[in-house]
Amino acid sequence: METKIKEKIKLVKKGDQSAFEEIVAFHQSKVYQICYRLIGNTHEAEDLAQEAFIRAYVNIHSYDDNRKFSTWLYRIATNLTIDRIRKKKPDYYLDAEVQGTDGLNMYSQLPADQVQPEEEVESLEIQTYIQNEIMALPTKYRSVIALRFVDELSLAEISDILNIPIGTVKTRIHRGREALRKRLRHV
Amino acid sequence: MTCKKEFIQLMHHYLDGDLNKEEEQQLRTHLQSCKECQNHFQELKRTITLLESNSHLQPSPNFTNKVINSLPKEKKRISYLR
Repeated sequence: METKIKEKIKLVKKGDQSAFEEIVAFHQSKVYQICYRLIGNTHEAEDLAQEAFIRAYVNIHSYDDNRKFSTWLYRIATNLTIDRIRKKKPDYYLDAEVQGTDGLNMYSQLPADQVQPEEEVESLEIQTYIQNEIMALPTKYRSVIALRFVDELSLAEISDILNIPIGTVKTRIHRGREALRKRLRHV
Repeated sequence: MTCKKEFIQLMHHYLDGDLNKEEEQQLRTHLQSCKECQNHFQELKRTITLLESNSHLQPSPNFTNKVINSLPKEKKRISYLR
């Protein structure tokens, strides 16, 4: 697949915009998931993922073909998201958690027009809970956790993406994993 | 628990794929005899499973189209026709 992606990138570099479509389709889930794990909001994650692809397209000539494309792309997405977190002003989104309601979001305040199957609600609740616990971690832990568990990236790749030494990646993963173990043991 | 700290380190190295055969055996032997560490290790593995469940997280179905439509337009070829 990596070879096929590289072929497509060559075409994009030559000005073929349609070749970019397959690149987006192939990477969209992972990029979105990394953004979501970091920012914790579906609208913002989608917006950031979109922006990451646009930046990748605009800067495609600075991508070095000898390196793994996903690493380069994830770096763009991660940097954009971390940047957004830094600049973040309090914003209110429909699926942002309502303060003091312990995991309820704005959707739960809207009249339910359709009853969801029980297990779906349950797993959604668990997933919301997990994400809330991830959000309780400082950004530097969240970023290693997102990269490690979304695409099972190697420690070396994470070190490359975040531009931090591999020893630091390990320490952050260990601490992040311990913190989440404590928070998630009763799930 | 005096044994704990050292073995928790080993667990994390194991989960990173950083243990050699000897260390792995050391951890394995310890886990067989220490209920508390065994429990800790199970919790760590479960945490990883929970963190890896990402499949429900998907962008909207028209994501690719939205990206393609937001790309800057291809450079227009200079037209000599008037």
